[in-house]
Amino acid sequence: MATDVRVLRPGNTAPRGVGWSLLLTLPMVVWSLLMFANPRGKADLQLHIAGAITAVFMIALFFMMMRTRNTYRWRRWFFVSLGLLFPVGFIHTVISMRGTMGIPLEEMIAGRTPFCFMPIPLLILPAAFTKALVFPGSILPAGGMSGGGMAAMVGIWLALTIVLGRGWCSYACFFGGIEEGMASVPKRAKIRKIDPRWRLGPWAVLLAMVLLSLALFEPAYCMWLCPFKAVSEYVAARNTVGLVQNGIFVLLFAGLVIALPLLTKKRTQCACFCPFGAFQSIFNKTSVFDVKIDKERCKPCVLCQTACPTMSLTRESVARGETLISCTKCGACVDACPRGAVAFHIKGTEAAAKPELARLMFLYAAWGMAVMFGGSIIAQGVATILHFLFRGTL
Amino acid sequence: MVASAVFGEALALGLGSGPACIAACGPVLVPSMLSAHQGLRPNVRYLSAFLAARLLGYLLFAVVAWELGALASLLPGPRLVMIGVVYVLLACVLLWYAYPARRNRAQPCTGSKLVKIGEKKHRGAAAAAALGFLTGLNLCPPFVVAGVRAAQLGSLVAALLFYAVFFIGTSVWFVPFAGLGCVARNEAVTTVARMAMALIALWYLALGIAMLLGRKGYGY
Repeated sequence: MATDVRVLRPGNTAPRGVGWSLLLTLPMVVWSLLMFANPRGKADLQLHIAGAITAVFMIALFFMMMRTRNTYRWRRWFFVSLGLLFPVGFIHTVISMRGTMGIPLEEMIAGRTPFCFMPIPLLILPAAFTKALVFPGSILPAGGMSGGGMAAMVGIWLALTIVLGRGWCSYACFFGGIEEGMASVPKRAKIRKIDPRWRLGPWAVLLAMVLLSLALFEPAYCMWLCPFKAVSEYVAARNTVGLVQNGIFVLLFAGLVIALPLLTKKRTQCACFCPFGAFQSIFNKTSVFDVKIDKERCKPCVLCQTACPTMSLTRESVARGETLISCTKCGACVDACPRGAVAFHIKGTEAAAKPELARLMFLYAAWGMAVMFGGSIIAQGVATILHFLFRGTL
Repeated sequence: MVASAVFGEALALGLGSGPACIAACGPVLVPSMLSAHQGLRPNVRYLSAFLAARLLGYLLFAVVAWELGALASLLPGPRLVMIGVVYVLLACVLLWYAYPARRNRAQPCTGSKLVKIGEKKHRGAAAAAALGFLTGLNLCPPFVVAGVRAAQLGSLVAALLFYAVFFIGTSVWFVPFAGLGCVARNEAVTTVARMAMALIALWYLALGIAMLLGRKGYGY
């Protein structure tokens, strides 16, 4: 069977030689060393070891991507690690600084709320109307508990997003990894038929949350609907409403991030709920990278549709030779196609002209971001675990 | 002279607080307008019904504000109950509007008036009026300020006129909403708008129930 696949796939699909693979990995080695070597820092031993482990991990995965020419399989290791280690490092930081995972009102008033990228689309309309940000954090570095401040986070996000589009959701988001991990547990999906209208869920949540954020002058999604509050920081419930808010967070997390991915083998939170994902999809229009389907080579076997974790392929879109706007460029469909009809593509070039070159160009950008953004989060998580192992305490 | 100064103040207050009114009414108005009525003219009709009912809500509130002497004399408890009731009603209308008319037609046995109103051709104006009236009663900050000012005036007619002029000031800001009729409409846009309406309705419902139970809106 494997031989058949090789015959059907265009170009050279055999594993690359070790030398070539190493050469192609070299830029990422340099980048990883720049990110994780800290010669002037006074970091402790555990942090140095965590940085080294992370660097080796990221370099090894990129090497395997080069050698095997597979993307999704290796990216998934990174992404799931990111999803699992983010709460470890984050919760440890929050508890060290605040003594609890709950965020009380006085912390919010003081502008010490850690900022993540999720509320970015919710900030735009209130800022346009009032020139004020509806998030109780600091714009400047070191103002928030995450250390970066809002300006840095928004700046990094914008620069990377313009280039990669919704690739952010597969190479940088520290939330999606948990559900991708869950989705990879079962061999087969128990629920295979999902109403296509659920794909519109993220847009509806985005519309509702943007409008409510303007009306309430608060990041409504963070206050009421973010499933990941369950594994980051919850509302320091001081009354029944606070308990209800936390209940919503836990239920959404249990349903969308744990149960449904196990049943459907899809990233259900990303595909059907995440408003940031919908917002991010818009930037697929600015990104120079996309995924194209060679219509001549494609025999509609629906393997790509089955493999897509965000339901971004339909019969109609395959017939048009493209993915839906919600594509996260994770590479699952590219790897799944036995005929090599699905490929990364650089806009403005012919479809399937040089698919491997397009893949390389995309991966250098996406993996560079993964090392910088996700890698530091992984390193922090690993350091927390090492602290616990070496010292017996957090 | 004094009267023109007062009404000038009402107009300025309305114009100045228009963005706050848009923010308060946006979650109700935008999805409901997006869910149907493609084209400029139907949208203008919808917006007119919404604004007319909103004016009715304003004037009713002016009567209450004037009768009570000042809105501030309304104790926090009853005020919370009043907002809670408005929110629950708003949620009910939004949910009714979000419910696809197609499904109603597919169930001919459920021939209640509610379902009949829910049919597409009647639903627009009725829903717009209901939503406009309820948002007119919504106690947003500029509305409360106008209420306090209206209550200081010498007569009920003056209070009503004050609110009417305030309404005209705020309504100018709603004119661009008619442009939503030019947004390309397909099944996806309609479905997204309906889903958003349902979500917003659930939020209003939760907040309304919390207020009726005497709880604060936030858990901090």
